Amino acid sequence: MADPLVQFRAVHKSFGTYVAVKSLDLDIQRGEFLALMGPSGCGKTTTLRMLAGLEAPTSGSITIGGKRMNEVPPHQRDTPLVWQSLALFPFLSVVENVEFGLRMRGVAPKERRDRAMMWLDRMQLKGFETRRIDQLSGGQRQRVALARSLVTEPEMLLLDEPLSALDAHLVIRMQGVLTRLQKELGITFVYVTHSQSEAFAMADRVVIMGQGEIAQIGTPQEIFRGPRSRFVAEFVGRNNILSGMAQGGVLTTAQGAVPVAAGDGAVEIVVAADRTFVSRDRPAGAAIRAAFLSEEFAGTGIICYFETPDGAEWKAQVTESQLAALQPESGQDFWLSWQPGAEHVMGA
Amino acid sequence: MKALGLLGRVYLAALFVFIFAPIAASVVFSFNSDRFPTLPLGSFTTDWYARAFSRPEVWEAIGNSLAVAAVTAVLATFIGFATAYTDFRYGFRFKQAYLALALLPPTLPLVILGLAMLAWLSRIGLSGTLSGIVIAHVVLASPFAMAICRLRLSQMDPALEAAAWNLGSSPWGAMRHVILPFCAPALVSALCLTAAVSFDEFIVAWFVSGLNRTVPVMILEILQGNVDPQINAIGTVVFLTSMSLVIAAQFLIFRRRSNG
Repeated sequence: MADPLVQFRAVHKSFGTYVAVKSLDLDIQRGEFLALMGPSGCGKTTTLRMLAGLEAPTSGSITIGGKRMNEVPPHQRDTPLVWQSLALFPFLSVVENVEFGLRMRGVAPKERRDRAMMWLDRMQLKGFETRRIDQLSGGQRQRVALARSLVTEPEMLLLDEPLSALDAHLVIRMQGVLTRLQKELGITFVYVTHSQSEAFAMADRVVIMGQGEIAQIGTPQEIFRGPRSRFVAEFVGRNNILSGMAQGGVLTTAQGAVPVAAGDGAVEIVVAADRTFVSRDRPAGAAIRAAFLSEEFAGTGIICYFETPDGAEWKAQVTESQLAALQPESGQDFWLSWQPGAEHVMGA
Repeated sequence: MKALGLLGRVYLAALFVFIFAPIAASVVFSFNSDRFPTLPLGSFTTDWYARAFSRPEVWEAIGNSLAVAAVTAVLATFIGFATAYTDFRYGFRFKQAYLALALLPPTLPLVILGLAMLAWLSRIGLSGTLSGIVIAHVVLASPFAMAICRLRLSQMDPALEAAAWNLGSSPWGAMRHVILPFCAPALVSALCLTAAVSFDEFIVAWFVSGLNRTVPVMILEILQGNVDPQINAIGTVVFLTSMSLVIAAQFLIFRRRSNG
């Protein structure tokens, strides 16, 4: 892909002795929906704030559209941010909030009012323009915040966990609004979240960060099916990890020996919960033994939790009828198996 | 909130009587025809008001007080806001000491502050001038303005200012279009309260006023001459002025808190 919109090159950011981001190299393409994901303190928000100019990199360079942006103050950029708290101005009406960016850029009153009204219309907020912010519902505020950020028609929109304060059913709806909007506008969205489901549902590419570094970049499917490290596998969730020594196509682990398609040496493999089968009798092929702990209803299926003899947690996704047939009771031993090739060898 | 029991209500009523009885008495006797405050009351009269406010020195003192209060309010509110904003916006070493110093003046004994002001103001040639009183009152009143502004800033989402920058406001633009509008109720409230502090203040004003007397100083001078119900009349006017300012200040703070 040629000519990325944003380039981070060896970007390093520390606050005193605390290192928030270390040697970050990242290209963000025009028109892509990129999610920055990771646990709190992983540097994702700092990365976003550096894009908005709210933090300056300690070293390295950030370019937007080919122009070096390190020292450009926030108000001289067009990198609107949708804040986690939304940060709407409580002393202004809805339409005054939306036109704020245009007012600061000296757009004439008539034109800025028209453009703000157009965005309110687009966000289905027509008729709310004279309301105060505290007279709106959570979902409406969210849409005001979006309209306020998009009114200047930027090339890139930054979003900092904007859905974290919403009810679950609204989150799903807003995810739809955001993806549709991004496709329609064709602009770049950079979306920070700690939620795997949000990132995977919306993003074209996901950047997993941990301790100030990029752990993996890829499409949601690449990351879900092919985590590169134990950190990613654990963070993404619903993955079982098995480590041991491989020799001649057999992986010897604390849970026993299983066939594996990997070269000799120390190997970690990942078996996703939805590719793990549960049975009372030992099946042919790769299987380990574990004691049933509990089950959890998870919408698309039921996640059963197991514990191996050496204390590792294993998860298997089963259907309701499978669960009824198995009748598992706490403490009972089962065989957990997977099809040849269903496992993913990490680091390969 | 739990409703008060009977005992609680009686206690509360007694407390208010204790606090407001002398003021009420002063108001009542300002309309009483008798020269001395005795019961039963004489007839109703506005004569004491007419007499008090026909004296040119009373008008001069009121003029002085209003001018001092107005200038003090503006300066103290400006300093108070700047101090509170510094605290809100910046982290620095010795911040606790900075805050303690900023809040110190009202805790000093007024006699000491008055003496110190007199010594210092005469050194710089401002003793006995209205400017001198203003300086002294700004020192006294700024901490109140700061406390009010700090309360308001603490209710502000810290992302609000950065959101303004993010939308294209320069730092000064964000101050003008976001911080000041957000703090507007607190600023008006601080103006009212600092004006009331200055308008009422007697001890420091007495030390530094010289011939340019403010109302409280003038009241003392009349009192030293003789006890006269004119004092009640002037006192009632002063009380009403200060109370209006304080109530306005309270109203602005509380109204804002309910919907802010």
